[in-house]
Amino acid sequence: MKAYIAKKLLALPLILIGVSLLVFVAIRALPGDPARLMAGPEATQEAVDNMTRRLGLDRSLPEQYASFAYGAVRGDLGISIKSKLPVVDEIAERLPFTLGLAITAYLLAIGIGVPAGMIAAIYRHGWPDQIVMILAIAGASIANFWLALMAMNTFSVQLGWLPLLGASSWRSFILPSITLAVLPTAVIARMTRSSMIEVMSQDYIRTAYAKGVAPQTIYWSHALRNALIPIITIVGLNFGSLVGGAVVTESVFNWPGIGRFLVDAVRYRDYPVIQGVTLVAVTGVVVMNLLAELLIAVLNPKIRFD
Amino acid sequence: MASIETEIAPRRRALSRALRWMAVHRSIALGGFLVGLIVLAAILAPLIASVDPYAQDLLATMEPPSWAHPFGTDDNGRDIFARVLYGARISLLEVVLSVGLAVIVGVPLGIMSGMSGRYVDQAVMWVMDILFAFPGIVLAILIVSVLGSSLINLLIAIAIFSAPVYARLSRNLTLGLKSMDYVEAAISLGISRRRIMTHYILRNAIGPIIVQSTLTAGTVILSAASLSFLGLGAQPPLPEWGAMMSDGRNYLGLNIYMSLFPGLAIMITVLGFNILGDGLRDLLDPRK
Amino acid sequence: MAMFLKNRRFVLASAVAGSLLSPMAAGAATLNVMQTEAPRSMDPGDQTATYTAALLDPMYEGLTKRDPDLSLKPALATEWSSDAAGLVWTFKLRPGVKFHDGTPFDADAVVKNFARHLDTKRGLAASGRLRTFLEGVTAVDPMTVQFKLKTQYPAFLALLATGPCLMVSPAAETAGTIGSKAVGTGPYKLAEYKSGEYVLQTKNIEWWGGAPKGEDEINWTWTPEPSVMNMALQTGDADVVNPFPAAFAQQIKANPDMTLSATDGSAVFWVSLNTKMKPLDDVRVRQALNYATDREGIVKAFMQGFATPANSPLAPVTPGYDKSLAPYSYDVEKAKQLLKEAGYPDGFSMSTIVQEQESRIGELLQAMWAKAGIKLEVRKMEGGVWSKAAFLDPAGKEKDTIGSSIASWSSGVNGADLQFRPLYHSKSASPAGANLGFFSDPKLDELIDKAASTLDEKARNAIYVDAQKLVNEQAPHVLLFTKQDLFATRAGVKGTWVIPGGLIIVKDARK
Repeated sequence: MKAYIAKKLLALPLILIGVSLLVFVAIRALPGDPARLMAGPEATQEAVDNMTRRLGLDRSLPEQYASFAYGAVRGDLGISIKSKLPVVDEIAERLPFTLGLAITAYLLAIGIGVPAGMIAAIYRHGWPDQIVMILAIAGASIANFWLALMAMNTFSVQLGWLPLLGASSWRSFILPSITLAVLPTAVIARMTRSSMIEVMSQDYIRTAYAKGVAPQTIYWSHALRNALIPIITIVGLNFGSLVGGAVVTESVFNWPGIGRFLVDAVRYRDYPVIQGVTLVAVTGVVVMNLLAELLIAVLNPKIRFD
Repeated sequence: MASIETEIAPRRRALSRALRWMAVHRSIALGGFLVGLIVLAAILAPLIASVDPYAQDLLATMEPPSWAHPFGTDDNGRDIFARVLYGARISLLEVVLSVGLAVIVGVPLGIMSGMSGRYVDQAVMWVMDILFAFPGIVLAILIVSVLGSSLINLLIAIAIFSAPVYARLSRNLTLGLKSMDYVEAAISLGISRRRIMTHYILRNAIGPIIVQSTLTAGTVILSAASLSFLGLGAQPPLPEWGAMMSDGRNYLGLNIYMSLFPGLAIMITVLGFNILGDGLRDLLDPRK
Repeated sequence: MAMFLKNRRFVLASAVAGSLLSPMAAGAATLNVMQTEAPRSMDPGDQTATYTAALLDPMYEGLTKRDPDLSLKPALATEWSSDAAGLVWTFKLRPGVKFHDGTPFDADAVVKNFARHLDTKRGLAASGRLRTFLEGVTAVDPMTVQFKLKTQYPAFLALLATGPCLMVSPAAETAGTIGSKAVGTGPYKLAEYKSGEYVLQTKNIEWWGGAPKGEDEINWTWTPEPSVMNMALQTGDADVVNPFPAAFAQQIKANPDMTLSATDGSAVFWVSLNTKMKPLDDVRVRQALNYATDREGIVKAFMQGFATPANSPLAPVTPGYDKSLAPYSYDVEKAKQLLKEAGYPDGFSMSTIVQEQESRIGELLQAMWAKAGIKLEVRKMEGGVWSKAAFLDPAGKEKDTIGSSIASWSSGVNGADLQFRPLYHSKSASPAGANLGFFSDPKLDELIDKAASTLDEKARNAIYVDAQKLVNEQAPHVLLFTKQDLFATRAGVKGTWVIPGGLIIVKDARK
């Protein structure tokens, strides 16, 4: 067990190095010159050259990577080309909003998805099962930017119940987090259903039935506990797609998180910001995946993600 | 008369058998029906739609649905119905190309990785882990920005972030199959590695890969739509559903049809692939 | 990564809680303004974007300023004079003015402000134009400065009211914080800049002009989504939306709760034709494209009618504009005829590059030009990619087969030179300037240079009329339309106006 955890932890920095290299190279390959964009369309070639020097883009690529990597290790991700603020501060300002949104969305997804999946499993092939599954599959079939805009139009503009934009109060969380939660809710409901069905066909559950244990107790304590493992897997491994969803959702709702920050940064070729945000997002995903794997290894030593 | 009856009877029996099969495999039937509907729309688009999906009419922009335009017209006065139908061709092309590319790249890598010793395996999986760690959209934004935005580059981007799933899947299947008696026997008989990979591993791994492909198909269409929303999608005037929906969103509050109909088309297609994938998984699940 | 989080004393729970509890700029005393894009900088001299300039306007002032009637008035300078040649200008500065950080405004501050633009090492985004004509600035006495120009520059006083010439605090400039923390002399000062969310400005009660007339606070937000801008106005999340998306304009006009303002703008939209590439090097082909373009149709479809079809390279608000010009009617037959004469009876194929937000213009032209037998391939590009492609040199454009570029240019009230020189002068051929089609005509160069050194306005404008005729005839661009400046407010908002080109002024607005 310890060796397994050690091995996983050792792989972490390797992956992060790979990720940072990939991000660095990909960004440098982006067509579009940040110096030209910053200097504006009226700028002379001289102004563009000056801007290039000011941004440190005249140095060789290995030099640029070395300074980026050295900085990143010390918690310095450089200065944003656009806002002139330290990237770390900019991310620190926005990360709570993205995490807040992601956590709310996950809580919603688990809170709705797990019970829905359980109900579907218990009434397998009955109408509750059908309804849950239809909703789950439908939920996984809608483009979330459209859902977001429709929700805004309905609940903020037409009905006036909820704030339209920004993150000014807890009510602002409602629409974006529901929009973001739709997909994971659907995935979790399906996953819960299938693992519950599998667990309930196991011998010990049948034995419990035979012994006359109340069905509620069976569902909640026996079946659910064992069905948890695949659910944790899904929650952990799907963190990446949740981050991806946040990029789109944040853009629509003017949410001050790192997803919208990234989209804007790509628009202005703000290299340090793209690097920093991607690195933080990927680190988050890697850590979540790792946590999920370790948790599963603890819960069920037989499963290993080698 | 008699001859006709004898011909009908077995047909009827075949039909009822098919119906019974479909009743049991409801998901496959429903999913297959929806996907079939889209395929039909794609093939028959020129026959069903009486107008050119590219023809503009600046005097009839953003009209609500009518007999002449069942889905209304868009901001350039083009018939949305015709565009949605022709769009089915593009969406199916998207699915075939990106899923195909992801499979072609991912599966051989995965099998090779599973068959080889630990160093190759470690290295391949390391690269796949790195790709896998990128949130799909983020990776796609980077790739499409580098390659320039066009439908093909968009599909390449989607294929790249889908490939690790296939690599992992086929590697794990390979690891499992490798320890099966008959594969071990084949190895000890000195059958070539290539033959083992194609005849013993791939043939047995194909079921789960097909199921996974069907399930990825839906994701491909949704990802394409999201990328179109971020301005990294198909080039005008292609009637790509994501691009149409994304154009239509600029008029939400004024005209809903521009985004509603392509949105519904996306939903039906994704729904079809997801239901079909679920059904196939149940059908191919060895545990039942 | 965990390290840096700890270093920054980053506590998630409290940050989230804090953001939920702190009531952000609310209440009736705040004017909420929404625009399409985030500010590029808090330093007016380090940006060239209209909407950034609008956001910075309440906080900064120049030596001159524009009034709502668009005339130039004294601001931080009280009076000025120049020598007969127009090369030496002397300004008396307004006494008793202080920057928001307490630094006094004096001749020294003015000198430092211009020195930073003349210093090539500083590399500020907006320096370019100043450096073309400004020799240097010196202090005559603590309250008097003198400008020396390399060449005459008719738009000099107008330029003093814009971005690079707005006065920033020398202390903040020296500290290197001006890019993220605005310090000017204006009636509002920066309260908070959350780069992902909003810019909040509060009244500067020590302003030299007395109590500011506007609301207590101005809060700026932004979104690129047109439908969201519309919704924000509907719900009252925004009191002012600039620019207001044309698609929703008619709807707002009919709504008594809101007011739409549509005024003549200065952004001229065009297709720049690559005059170094076959067959666009033939003037007949370029004219044919002009005849094949239904400008009214584009105005109606793309701008919902809120634009003027272009008849000149200048916008109607630009001094020297001649409204009697009528070079090209919509005439497909004439276009075909010209193509036939040029040796293309069956038409030809070409490409155009266009940014996301203007890609519909490309689609419209695609269908229009097809009627004359011209097959247009539209390449929609994301902004950064577009500007890289648009500013390629002739060889680069040949290689990527870029036949034309769709874009707009706005110089507006600041003089015709700022439209002609960057777009049509042979020295501005890209990548050096925005002459994206490498148009070169010695006669036009001569006219542009002659006009720039003509101080008499009437004589200058007469030269510009000739230049307009020449551009129309040579057709380096397919000129499309001049956009109207659209902004919308909630019905109660008074005192908002716009400088042609979309620079909205809200510092005197009440709601």
